[in-house]
Amino acid sequence: MMKIGKTLAICVLIITLSALSALCETDVLMMATTTSTDNTGLLDYLAPEFKKDTGIELRWTAAGTGKALKLGENCDVDVLTVHAPGAEKTFVEAGYGVDRREIMYNDFVIIGPKSDPADLKGKSVSDALTAIQKKEALFVSRGDNSGTNKKEIILWKEAGLRVPEKEKWYIQTGQGMLSTINIAAERNGYTMTDRGTYIKYEFNSGGNPPLAILVEGDDSLKNQYSVIAVNPGHCSGAEYETAKRFIDWITGSKAQDLIRNFKLLGKPLFIPNAE
Amino acid sequence: MDFIAEGFVQAFRLLVSLDPETFSAILATLKVSSYSMAASLIVGVPLGFLLGYARFKGRKQIRLIVDTLLSLPTVFVGLVVYAFLSNRGPFGEWGLLFTLPGIAIGQAILALPIVIALTATAVESIDDHLRLTLISLGAGRKQLFLTSLWEVRYGVLAAAVTAYGRVMTEVGISMMVGGNIKWHTRTITTAIALETNKGLFGMGVALGLVLLFIAFFVNVSVSFLRKR
Amino acid sequence: MTAKNFIYQIKNLKHAYNGRPILDIADFSVERAGIVGLMGPNGSGKSTLLRFLGFIEKPAEGEIRYNGKIEYPFSNAVKSHVALLPQTPYLMKRSVSKNIAYGLVINKKLSDRRIRERVHEALDMVGLDVKAFAGRQWSELSGGEAQRAALAARLALKPDVLLLDEPTASVDAASIQRIKDASIQARHEWGTTIIIASHDRQWLLDICDQAVHLFNGRIFDSAYENILFGPWYPENNGRWKKKTADLQSIIVSRPPHSSAAAVLDPRRVSLHPLSRPVRTDHHCMTGLISQLTLEKNNNNVLVSVQIGNLYLTACASDSPADSPLLFPGQNIKLSYHPDSVHWI
Repeated sequence: MMKIGKTLAICVLIITLSALSALCETDVLMMATTTSTDNTGLLDYLAPEFKKDTGIELRWTAAGTGKALKLGENCDVDVLTVHAPGAEKTFVEAGYGVDRREIMYNDFVIIGPKSDPADLKGKSVSDALTAIQKKEALFVSRGDNSGTNKKEIILWKEAGLRVPEKEKWYIQTGQGMLSTINIAAERNGYTMTDRGTYIKYEFNSGGNPPLAILVEGDDSLKNQYSVIAVNPGHCSGAEYETAKRFIDWITGSKAQDLIRNFKLLGKPLFIPNAE
Repeated sequence: MDFIAEGFVQAFRLLVSLDPETFSAILATLKVSSYSMAASLIVGVPLGFLLGYARFKGRKQIRLIVDTLLSLPTVFVGLVVYAFLSNRGPFGEWGLLFTLPGIAIGQAILALPIVIALTATAVESIDDHLRLTLISLGAGRKQLFLTSLWEVRYGVLAAAVTAYGRVMTEVGISMMVGGNIKWHTRTITTAIALETNKGLFGMGVALGLVLLFIAFFVNVSVSFLRKR
Repeated sequence: MTAKNFIYQIKNLKHAYNGRPILDIADFSVERAGIVGLMGPNGSGKSTLLRFLGFIEKPAEGEIRYNGKIEYPFSNAVKSHVALLPQTPYLMKRSVSKNIAYGLVINKKLSDRRIRERVHEALDMVGLDVKAFAGRQWSELSGGEAQRAALAARLALKPDVLLLDEPTASVDAASIQRIKDASIQARHEWGTTIIIASHDRQWLLDICDQAVHLFNGRIFDSAYENILFGPWYPENNGRWKKKTADLQSIIVSRPPHSSAAAVLDPRRVSLHPLSRPVRTDHHCMTGLISQLTLEKNNNNVLVSVQIGNLYLTACASDSPADSPLLFPGQNIKLSYHPDSVHWI
């Protein structure tokens, strides 16, 4: 029985020590980001460079833009990297965020089976979506209130169509972009994705994926990424100074060049456009 | 289906090559489950013991509540713990969100009903005969308590192993409270969720197998402990 | 005899469980170094009484004096001095020798060597081979061996009082003998007071200095009293009757209720050769003598007669004049006056 007592005492000690050590760490920037920046590996590529230049450790939790904005509103992170301009503006206007800066963009594409049953190839976005709805071709949506999902809903509306909800041909996965693409591939359906994630998907499937890009290049498909610092006036605990340094760094010329050179299969995933 | 075979190969490769990302996740899993198990055992064993041992008013009702809590959904626990640890929550200033101790709190809540219920069941099963025997051999109140506790050690061990299984394999709390932060709060299960999200099913299978290896080693050492 | 010679004195003990009375003992004392037998049907309160005497529990009402002082569970005067062997033995999940050493380790300040010696002595007393059994695990014993190991754990304490609750009820014949021998040896070597609850009437009558009968929580001073259980059915002459298994009638006076029990003093039962007529006001039955016992204190010969499934005891020396020649296996007539029963 003495042994149990000792073991317990040691456990308590370990817990206390590790809890203390967690409190002692400094110069950490906590970011909430969209799944696409994480899934493509961009942040894994940028974070060490950021640390080298500033000594600040970047930690991020990846979530849909909806949850990322919520984490910012709840003061649980210091900075956000998101891609839903409309929601971002609301976020800033509500006083939750400051210093919103655009950093890069890629574009959305509509992908689908190579056989292209709804005959989308070469159509404009509006025509393509109209064709899908008319032919009731299977369409897989994120359905998770993410930036991509928000964009998709806007596109349905801009095409003058009713946003599908319970239709049989409309599947809402509630999952990340790559999972959603995989589901679309399994079900032989169409989906909308950011180009970066599609390239990553192409890369994962050894360069020969079952789904191909069918609609691209439309102005309305631009996917703009921005950073926003959590408003220190709203969140007293937010590391505003550190967040500011990150924003200055990522909009600076060095980071912008890094983003330009981030390629998969020889294709750039994001195009820097910080002003 | 080939990603399953691919997963086996990859699991082996990850373990043999001491892949730093995998080992960081293994370490995080082991750390966080050790914290949560220690906490839930320290709190749960005495409570379970009392619940099984003492006869008081409302005992049956408490038992019913504890048994119900066995079905706590992990995502729900994660959400509630997040609400408390969020910077706008009541314990925000502790800075536990997105840390391993934060996840451990959630997992301890998950494990606690299991530890309490199974300990209570073990204690109930030793019934009156042990008490009678110990008093008749001259045990005092303290010895009565300690020896009874020692007598149910296998029951407590079983409770711990069951709770450990649940804690190690949960993903809802680790994801919600831990945030799946690489090198810090990425556990094996959140890594599986991430890899699956990224469409890297083989990697997901590999990590799942790694988790099974760990569970296997835990159970082997437990059965060794029992034999002694 | 002074109070000092009593190790136990019980006064006005009353105990109920869920409103049902379990024990009601106005006055009962046990002599130091005596052997007391408790008889009585299941549920008569024997186990409960032993728990109180063992200071495992405390009765709701009344006092139990131990060595002249009122004692309670966990008090130092009784801890490891009073040892109860429960009906169902319980061995802790550890080796046999650790089970036996438990009481010594927690209470007696003995060296490891002395503890080992005491454990070995105790194993010897109950006839368990030290080499074969000391290192065995609790789970590796038969029922009888477990009961003997449990008894050894009590004997290792060299207790002042040993309380045995049906120690031979569910064990093999060899274990029964070992348990009986070890109990006697304890009294012989250490002057241990022994109280035994058992259905083994013959054993109790053989070894006990005092045997009492417990029925519905009450003590009847002589273990030899006949207790007649209901249910009773009225006859038209104001008597009540019950059939034995061989279809003879037991006739009694009017009971307080149909399932009451009656006590019939053996001194009120007379024995007659089969050929002799019986007084007309007596009720007469025939049976088989199963056993003759010499009562320890007064040289009375007690005769057990089996009538179907019923055993009745008669006291032979009360009627020397017409006493027949008695031997076990003999068919005999017995008679009593129905009004001589009293109801309890």
